[in-house]
Amino acid sequence: MTDEHEHEQAHAGESPRDEALRERLRAADPAASLPAADPDRVARLLEDTMTDQLTDESRTDGTRNRSRLTWLVAAAAVVLIAGGLAFVFLGGGDDEPDVAGGDPTPSATTGSSSAASAAPTSTLTLGFDESAASGRCVAPDSAAALQVLEGQQLAFDGTVESVSGTRVTLVPQRFYAGDEVDRVVVEAPGAQLRALLAAVRFQEDGRYLVSASDGRVTLCGLSGAYDDALAAQYEKAFGG
Amino acid sequence: MTSEARRTRFEDVVTPAVEPLRRFLARRTDPATADDVLGDVLLVCWRRIDEVPDDALPWAYGVARLCLANAERSSRRQRRVAGRVATLDPPATVGPAAPGSPADDAVRAALAALPERDAELLRLWAWEQLTASEIAVVLDVTPNAASIRLHRAREKLRERLRKDGAAAGHEETTEGRRP
Repeated sequence: MTDEHEHEQAHAGESPRDEALRERLRAADPAASLPAADPDRVARLLEDTMTDQLTDESRTDGTRNRSRLTWLVAAAAVVLIAGGLAFVFLGGGDDEPDVAGGDPTPSATTGSSSAASAAPTSTLTLGFDESAASGRCVAPDSAAALQVLEGQQLAFDGTVESVSGTRVTLVPQRFYAGDEVDRVVVEAPGAQLRALLAAVRFQEDGRYLVSASDGRVTLCGLSGAYDDALAAQYEKAFGG
Repeated sequence: MTSEARRTRFEDVVTPAVEPLRRFLARRTDPATADDVLGDVLLVCWRRIDEVPDDALPWAYGVARLCLANAERSSRRQRRVAGRVATLDPPATVGPAAPGSPADDAVRAALAALPERDAELLRLWAWEQLTASEIAVVLDVTPNAASIRLHRAREKLRERLRKDGAAAGHEETTEGRRP
């Protein structure tokens, strides 16, 4: 430590001796060989992080509470709103899923084809209307809700495969209504995804009951995390 | 802060910290836990974006330390439960076990032999390359205290390396032997 004063570096007050010790330690850094993270993964992680909190933030109404019961109770009122993007069938079982309905998003095709590298799969892309997330709803367990549910063109029980960027991908296990497909993708560009996740708390590996009409996911508690009450509603609406 | 401002702030301040945080965690736990904890840390940063200082990294390391401690607590709990259920599968060893030269192994062994508090100071200093005042932010102590502890920790490590080197009959390190 005799030469401490000679060597003022970024780390003030450290001697060359300290520097040497630091170098020795650095040589044993177990993260030295760690490759840099995949930028796509990082971007997705950041996006998912930001989505999470905004989900809570945007819910300034009585549905803030996360419990399903509260959600069911709180989702009162009359109008079921579902609006938004086009219903897009990506070729049911074709080798080359082509995007119909004027949806120019090439990623929709890549998404489904990469998930289906082994065998051709069919993917259904749904839209979602942001305004529906904050719209007024019928109580999900009411007769009116049942009626609305009965009118849905598509209803299925499925598991979320991924939530990323602008889409939620679900793998349906059972169809109550509508043509069966291997994958259902809900597209929600930009801020819409946050609103969608606020309405239906899609989480990876979660099981959900989802209904849709005119290519748009039905919200207001008629699509949501799987639970017995909602499943019973689906059974009733679509006759098992 | 509006949600747009929050996003901008998060992207400006937290995004550059992701890679250092990954490394911080990789040095201290297994890859799966590191992944989980990284998500937790980012979430805390996002929720408390108003509190994140401009120099986010030391602050974020501090958060990561706490999140990691939480994760290890719960994994210990899980291991205990698993231990009761089945004694066949021994729990996987936690901690990075990167292969290294004997010299690196000696340093790691010496580090591991120090009290955890000292070892952590040295890791923050050497691996995260923080200054004493940055370490103070991470550990939530005064810069003066961090500086003094760091000095002592370095001395302890030197002492330990000397002893280990002598015990193993290794050539003694030349550092510290200069006039």
